Amino acid sequence: MKKRWLSIMMAAAMAATMPAAVMAEEEGEAEATAVTTVGPEDGTHFEMWSFVDAHNEFYGKMVELWNEQNPDKQINVTFSTYPYGDMHNKLMMSLQAGSGAPDMCDVEIGQFPNYTGDDCPLYPLTDALAPYEADCVTSRLDVYSKGDGTRIGVPTHVGASVMYWNAELLESYGLDYKSVKTWDDYTALGEALKEASNGEVYLTSVDTGGVDWMWIAMAEYGEDWTGGPDGEPNVELDSVKKMMTMQKQWLDDGIAMISTDGHVDLEAGFKNVSEGKIASFPKAMWYMSRFMNYMPEMEGKYDITTIPVFEEGQKNSVGIGGTGTVITQQCEAPELAAEWLTWAKLSKEGESYIWSVLGFDVCNSALWFDEDFAFDESNPYNTFFRCKPYEVLQELANNDAIGTVYTTSVSPTLNDYMCTTTLNEVFEDGMDIDEALAEAQEYLEMELM
Amino acid sequence: MSKVKKLLFSQKVAPFVFVLPFVLSLLIFWAYPLISGVIMSFQDINFGNRTFVGLDHYQKLFKDKFFITAVLNSVEYMFLTLVLMIPIPLLLAVLMESRLTKAKGVWKVIMYIPALTSVVISGMLFRMMFSEADGSQMNQLLAFFNQAPIAWLKTKWTAWIALLLLCMWRWTGVNMLYFVSGLKAIDTSLYESADIDGATAWQKFRYVTLPLIKPTTIYVITISVYAGLAMFLESFMLWNGNSSPKNIGLTIVGYLYKRGIEKNDLGYACAVGMVLMVIALIINIVQLVATGTFKKEES
Amino acid sequence: MAANTASPKTMESNHKVASVVATGIFVILCIFIAFPLVAGLLASFRPGRELVQNGLAINWDFSTMTLDNYKYLFGVGGGNSKVDSAKYFMWYKNSLVLTILTVILTLLVCYFVAYGLTMYKFRLQGFLFFMVIATMCVPFEILMLPLYQEVTTLGLIDKMAGVILPGLCGASTIFFFRQYMQSLPKELLDAARIDGCTEYGISVRIMMPITKPAFASMAILCAMGSWNNMLWPLLVFRDTSKFTLQIGLNTLLTPYGNNYDLLIAGSMFGIIPILLIYLIFQRYLIDGMTAGAVKG
Repeated sequence: MKKRWLSIMMAAAMAATMPAAVMAEEEGEAEATAVTTVGPEDGTHFEMWSFVDAHNEFYGKMVELWNEQNPDKQINVTFSTYPYGDMHNKLMMSLQAGSGAPDMCDVEIGQFPNYTGDDCPLYPLTDALAPYEADCVTSRLDVYSKGDGTRIGVPTHVGASVMYWNAELLESYGLDYKSVKTWDDYTALGEALKEASNGEVYLTSVDTGGVDWMWIAMAEYGEDWTGGPDGEPNVELDSVKKMMTMQKQWLDDGIAMISTDGHVDLEAGFKNVSEGKIASFPKAMWYMSRFMNYMPEMEGKYDITTIPVFEEGQKNSVGIGGTGTVITQQCEAPELAAEWLTWAKLSKEGESYIWSVLGFDVCNSALWFDEDFAFDESNPYNTFFRCKPYEVLQELANNDAIGTVYTTSVSPTLNDYMCTTTLNEVFEDGMDIDEALAEAQEYLEMELM
Repeated sequence: MSKVKKLLFSQKVAPFVFVLPFVLSLLIFWAYPLISGVIMSFQDINFGNRTFVGLDHYQKLFKDKFFITAVLNSVEYMFLTLVLMIPIPLLLAVLMESRLTKAKGVWKVIMYIPALTSVVISGMLFRMMFSEADGSQMNQLLAFFNQAPIAWLKTKWTAWIALLLLCMWRWTGVNMLYFVSGLKAIDTSLYESADIDGATAWQKFRYVTLPLIKPTTIYVITISVYAGLAMFLESFMLWNGNSSPKNIGLTIVGYLYKRGIEKNDLGYACAVGMVLMVIALIINIVQLVATGTFKKEES
Repeated sequence: MAANTASPKTMESNHKVASVVATGIFVILCIFIAFPLVAGLLASFRPGRELVQNGLAINWDFSTMTLDNYKYLFGVGGGNSKVDSAKYFMWYKNSLVLTILTVILTLLVCYFVAYGLTMYKFRLQGFLFFMVIATMCVPFEILMLPLYQEVTTLGLIDKMAGVILPGLCGASTIFFFRQYMQSLPKELLDAARIDGCTEYGISVRIMMPITKPAFASMAILCAMGSWNNMLWPLLVFRDTSKFTLQIGLNTLLTPYGNNYDLLIAGSMFGIIPILLIYLIFQRYLIDGMTAGAVKG
């Protein structure tokens, strides 16, 4: 009997939803409340895609502000949020097919090499970026450029890599992390920690599923395994070998562990950090939001400093990850779109939202030294950690310490080979480093054929 | 008899009317895109700019060790799922439909739910269960037997236990459902006469159930061959993406995404897809000819 | 069907033992199957970060449970809500409508195609059946770009028809119906013809009722496929207000952090309608041949 009752209910639900569906198809705008379109209807219309809902919220705010400030250049933007991988897939399809692409779109850095070729379907942003160029971290503009230097993306953040320290944990063992300047100091601190904690706490975890450590090493020595926009890829670099040798030694000595799940930015990684199994790790500035979201109980326990160097005087940071916003060639009013977009993401108005709400290290480095901007007490990121994050950025800027590693057409293959094969062979299986890198190089050369 | 009426009764016309939608859909939504796909596999495609490169993609494929790993993994996975996912669900379906099992509805529902849970969530749940952390369920199980925790997802055979368990978790209920509905088509009087002849439970299964459920079994085999070869999602779920340590979880479709779509080399992706299609077609044709499924048509 | 044939007394006790064993097998199996689900369900009552940090531990401590995630979902979480609940229910409704339409249309079309392929002898029959198998062996990914261009040209982009039509003649559904119909006696057709039924009348009035179990299982599976399908709907739909639940839920996962809270609650809640479809259709799996409809 119950089943019959259910089917009656279902039939009723079907009967109720079918006409609703037909109506929605006909009217199209029936659900207007849930579609985010910002700006007056007579403004120039744009469509914009992102894979992060918070980004679209931010852009929406910037559209409102723009329309207030520019009564003569009103814009009207419809925002859509798609799942990460699928948005890139859909963007690619629509650009390949020649129709259906949005006017503006967030593109993850790893996808950029797909668009740097001769038939680039993206609108050049060099002119629109010119007014901001002087204030910005140049390396971040470079990574979203074509081989000939044409800018095609507007950056969201620097993603400067820094060292995160579990200060409370280290202090409880009476250890001083602030004096660590070189990797030798760091290794010595690891030894001390191992002794003090009876091997229970590791100084750090070594990634087998991420290349952040290698990027840091390359930035320190000014090397780049992709060879830059025009060069040939080469993974057999001294910097990479040095980093791997050091990390392998840490593992052998019991100073470091292998990252659970391969890197610290996944569930098991958060668990390791929050349980105090590791006392420090290098990661980009954007990792701060992970603390806020998944490890709020770590408030006041963690400190941020610059990353140690192999030799004094080296650069010690590199921009990791990121999203560039692009304008497609299918856009009908690209100049206006470019003007708005660069303003939204690089002006002080835009940057203060990016810092206070999204929690990123902004690209407009002139603002790093703006006290009101950088050290605003009402910004939760300024009170969560034992230091103010922009103090670290200022230090990096003063020493001109942010290096560049490019993301080129070889990067997806290179990163994939490292994360699936080389790093595992070296750290898990104990394979000889030179041998593992030679193998990677051979694969890359075959792939590039 | 009027002409219209004659048409309605014509056994010559009827089959063509019935299959018309299929033929149309075949031509519009399958044949055209497939032919385009075949052409694309001989081209380099760069935003509306296409250059013919002949067999380059195919030549490159057979030298590409990742591709070979992917093919081997997919074929291996297909065989393992055939071995596991045909007999077990069949036996479970027979057991389920027997008079012996109580509260059938409850078990059927529970076994069906995993196929409905969102991929993101089930992937996360399995990743946590098989995590290398000491506290993960599988490592606690090992600890119960006084074994040291292991990194499940980093070595091939342990990772494949996880992969196959995930596959069984998700699809056993569904395959069972196919068999259950196949069992429904068997005339119950056949069992009654077998009872009268004094057949044992095994004899009834062997000589009544098994031959009569053959069409369903062939169906499940055919879809499992392709599903096994085209597996991607399960691996994607378990490793939270398309990269697994030493590519132990790399499959053909995973590789298609990796080189084709993530790297915008659609021509190469099409070549990978063609290889998958050919393998699946060969296995299925051999299987269907061997089981006599095609024969009936010709006689 | 698996009863014993020994003397009545031992038969009865044997039957009881066998029954306990059979039921026991399913109990144990279901405990294993349900474990991740229960863990997920419990996690949906906790802050997402707890799952992230503590992993999958079944924690019966009800004191730390909250309804917060579901409150966000239903939009009663105040200004704290990270996702518009209106959006969630819009996705939900879209998925439901799309699934129901897909199931009804696909089943009808596929049934008749399979009927034509199985019940008659005609030229091209073998070839068409081969094509059914062939379509099942082609990865969708290689059809994706041409199909996208085609659907755009046909003006079906951003329309429900654009999502449903290309998959309407689902080869696996046709194949299943065909396999099922093969085990049905064809004598019924001749009997109906003598009674003066048209070919189309036979397909609807005679064969359809006895194909009910196949309809039921295909409805359940089609619904599942459509509910979980994401790749193609995502390429076709442009308007956010048309997104389905799977697309929507996946937007909660980003490289800049995952919204675990809503993801878990949203997915758990998303099982309900599709489970209802199952409950409704599975009763038809009980009927079929056992009703004795065919024996005449």
